[in-house]
Formats: sequence, structure tokens, C-alpha cells
Amino acid sequence: MTDAVWIIAKRVINQIGRDHRTVAMILIVPLVVMTLIGLSFPDLRVLDYIAPALLAALALFFGFLLTGISFLRERSQGTMERLTVSPVTRLDIVVGYLCGFFVFALIQTFIILFYTIYVFDINYRGQLWEILVFQMVVIIGAVNLGIFISSFARNEFQMVQFIPLVILPQMFMGGLLWPVEQMPDYLQWFAHILPLTYAVDGMREIMLNGMNLLDVWVDLAVQAGFAMLTSVLAAITLRKGAVG
Amino acid sequence: MTDVAVSVNHLTFSFGHREVLKDLSLQIPTGIAFGLLGPNGAGKTTLIRLLVGLLKPKSGDIHILGQLISRKKALFIGYMPQLQSLYNELTVRQNVEFFARIYRLHDKAKRTQQVEKVLKLVDLWERRNDAVQSLSGGMKQRTSMACAIVHNPPLLFLDEPTVGLDPELRVSFWEFFSTLTKQGATLIISSHTMDDAAHCDRLGFIRDGKVIAEGTPNELKLATGTAQTSLEDAFLYFVRQGKDARND
Repeated sequence: MTDAVWIIAKRVINQIGRDHRTVAMILIVPLVVMTLIGLSFPDLRVLDYIAPALLAALALFFGFLLTGISFLRERSQGTMERLTVSPVTRLDIVVGYLCGFFVFALIQTFIILFYTIYVFDINYRGQLWEILVFQMVVIIGAVNLGIFISSFARNEFQMVQFIPLVILPQMFMGGLLWPVEQMPDYLQWFAHILPLTYAVDGMREIMLNGMNLLDVWVDLAVQAGFAMLTSVLAAITLRKGAVG
Repeated sequence: MTDVAVSVNHLTFSFGHREVLKDLSLQIPTGIAFGLLGPNGAGKTTLIRLLVGLLKPKSGDIHILGQLISRKKALFIGYMPQLQSLYNELTVRQNVEFFARIYRLHDKAKRTQQVEKVLKLVDLWERRNDAVQSLSGGMKQRTSMACAIVHNPPLLFLDEPTVGLDPELRVSFWEFFSTLTKQGATLIISSHTMDDAAHCDRLGFIRDGKVIAEGTPNELKLATGTAQTSLEDAFLYFVRQGKDARND
């Protein structure tokens, strides 16, 4: 890890931290969303089954949204252009932003996780630290995906349009709403190339069946591979221009 | 140190099918303020973005400080883009400090000293703890300038640095540019106003992606037949000459 990575990460954290409205939204929105979801389940035991998949899906959604919009703003303000002229490498920039955004995505994930466990009092069997480690890997992939996809958007409106294109299909087909095995064969094939399918599977195995990280190594490896792939793609597509 | 800061040979660049720069060649000596003058859309910003490595040429080559353009030269280059390109939530000092660290001023004591020196140079020391978003346009320009010069680069690319500045601030910017060239820095400044042109040591008139004339302000005026003419008339003279040459 180079100095530039920490310098960029520290700046991202500092910048978002000084934007009090954004910080408030980062903290409040997950609470509101989880409250609404929790209250919509009359039988909280159903939430026991839904919660692991929901935690993975919301980590992907919030990580992607936070990073995609923030990174796009860097491009449109021209600060990214200035940074790419400096001596730092593209990978330094991507990893630096990843580390910075990761902190806030992690805070949101912690809020959702602890709120679900302690306020809705869901039953889970696996180790809490293993749930957290697994979620962290999911977040890294989500943050990198946000950076990567923001390369293809010119403004916030276009970035938001990527949510139904990139996130919603994963939520519908990744096993969040109904088991992948019950879907038609061709959709099952599609589901198995979606990273969220493995995130949902891994979280369910840990939280419902009490498995550990070694038991879900395939799911974990897919998440790690996805995170690496998206970081490389993000570095490659890091356009050296403010806009266009 | 080479005598030529920037050497551009037969540079061509296109956005899609639209050719923006056409076989452009230019030699810029060290230690001067060189003005790239031309109307909007002439190709000035594209040329600057090519010179700092943001764009890749379709053909031709660019030498920066005696070497083919590469990332290794990034430390020796300062760049002030047309957009103010600042982190609005951060303070003036935090912005400048960030770029100081990015440009490897690792020693904290030296960095603090350098940031202070630069902020005093651009007359923003009193406002150092204010968030950039609370500053006026001129102050943001000066903050942007401070970010570009904090690492003492020998070569500075300034893309329309005086746009939107009031006359007083414009004069202070040019005084500041003069201080930098006296210290040995080379400044490449794009502008579309002839008011800026008069302050430059040498000028390159650019139109339709080509350098139509190059020289000192006096040389360019004299080429029209009289030194009494304005630079604006000199520019129009070279535009007409170019059209006549094409018609012949």
C-alpha cells in the first residue's frame, strides 16, 4: 500500500466527514429503511430467514450508491482530472477511494446489522465476527463496482439509472426474494454469474446454518474475486477527463 | 536543464471524426510566460490536456523538459485546469496540503512551511481555515493556483487562469506569473483575451487547431507592418493571411 493511497483515503474521509448533511443521511437512511422493512413483517421469525440475504443486498446497494455518486462528483468537478495529472497511479487512486468510501459503507452495514440483530432480535447461529468479515468483502466489491460503473455515467441522473440495471436484477435473481433453485434453468444460469447470489448464499450459510468462513470459502472467494476484478476494471476505465 | 521546456512536433488529435489539432508544431523555451492565444474552440484546452498527458495524440510527439512525455515528468509539472477543481467541503489549507502530499512533500515541517508560503503568495493566508465553498470566485481561482504551484514545479500549465477575475485580481495574477518566471519557471497560459496576451513573453496564435503565428508580442505586431497595431489586429492579420494562402 503506497502513501498516496492513505493520503487519498484520508482526504475522502475528511471531505465526507465535513459534509454534515451527507453524514446525517449516511446514518439515518439505513435506520429508516430497516425500520420500514422490519415493521412490514408481522411475524418477525420470517425475518430470521430474510435478514441474511437482506443484509448482503443492502450492503451492495448502499455501497454502490454512495460510491458511484461520490466518485462521479469527483469527475464532474474536475478534481479527478487534477489527480490523474499528478504522480499517483490509477490503482493508487482507485484503492485510495475504495479505502475512504469503505469506511462509510462499513458504518452503514454495521448500523443495518446491529439494528437487525438487536432491535428486531433475529435469531442467528454463526459467529458475529465471521458475519462482519464476510460483509466487509461484499462491501469492497460494492464500492469498487460503484467506482467502475461511474465511469459510464456523465451525471447523477445517469448514475442513478444504473441502479435498476446493475443492482435490481441481482436483488431479484440473487436469491433474496425466492430461492435460486426455483427459478427456470436459464435464469439459474444467469443467477450464478451474479455476485449477490454468492453473497446471499454465504450469509445464509453463516447466519442460518452456523457455518464458518472456511465452510463458505467458495462464496467468499467469489466475493473476493469480484472485488479484485472490479478494482482492476475501475483502474482501467478511470477516464482522465472531467467529463467526456 | 534543457533550453526548451516543451517541444511539440506534428501533433494531430481528433475527437471522433472531428480533427481538433492539425499537424501542430511548437517550441517553448524555458523560463518564460508563453501564451496560447485563440478564440473559443481553437484547440487551446485540448493542446494543454495533451501536454499534461490527459489525452493521447493521434500522431506526433511531445517532449517535456527534454524527454518524451511520461508519468515520470508528473512531479515537474503543475496544472491548473479551467474548472476550479477543488474539494469544496475542505478548507483552503486542506486543499493545498492535500496536493502538497500528493506531490510528495512528505516532510511535515517543510510541507507546512511551503503551504504557508504559497498561501501567502496568493494572498489567502487569512482565509486558510475557511471552506472553499464559502469563498468568492476569485479566491477559488487563487486556491486552485496555490494547489498547482505548491510543489514548486518548473513547468506550469494554466488553462484560462484569469477567466472571471476582476481587473485588479487579473493584474495581481500577472504580477505573480512574472515572479514565477523570474524564479526560472516556465508558464504556458491559455487565454482568449488579448489583454492577457500583452503580458506574455512569447505568444502562439492558435486557430482551427493550428498555430498560425508565433513570436514575441512585438514581433507579431511588427509582422503586420507596424508596431502601432494592437495584438487583436495582429491576430486578425494572421487569420486573413491564412485564408489568403488557402485561396491562392
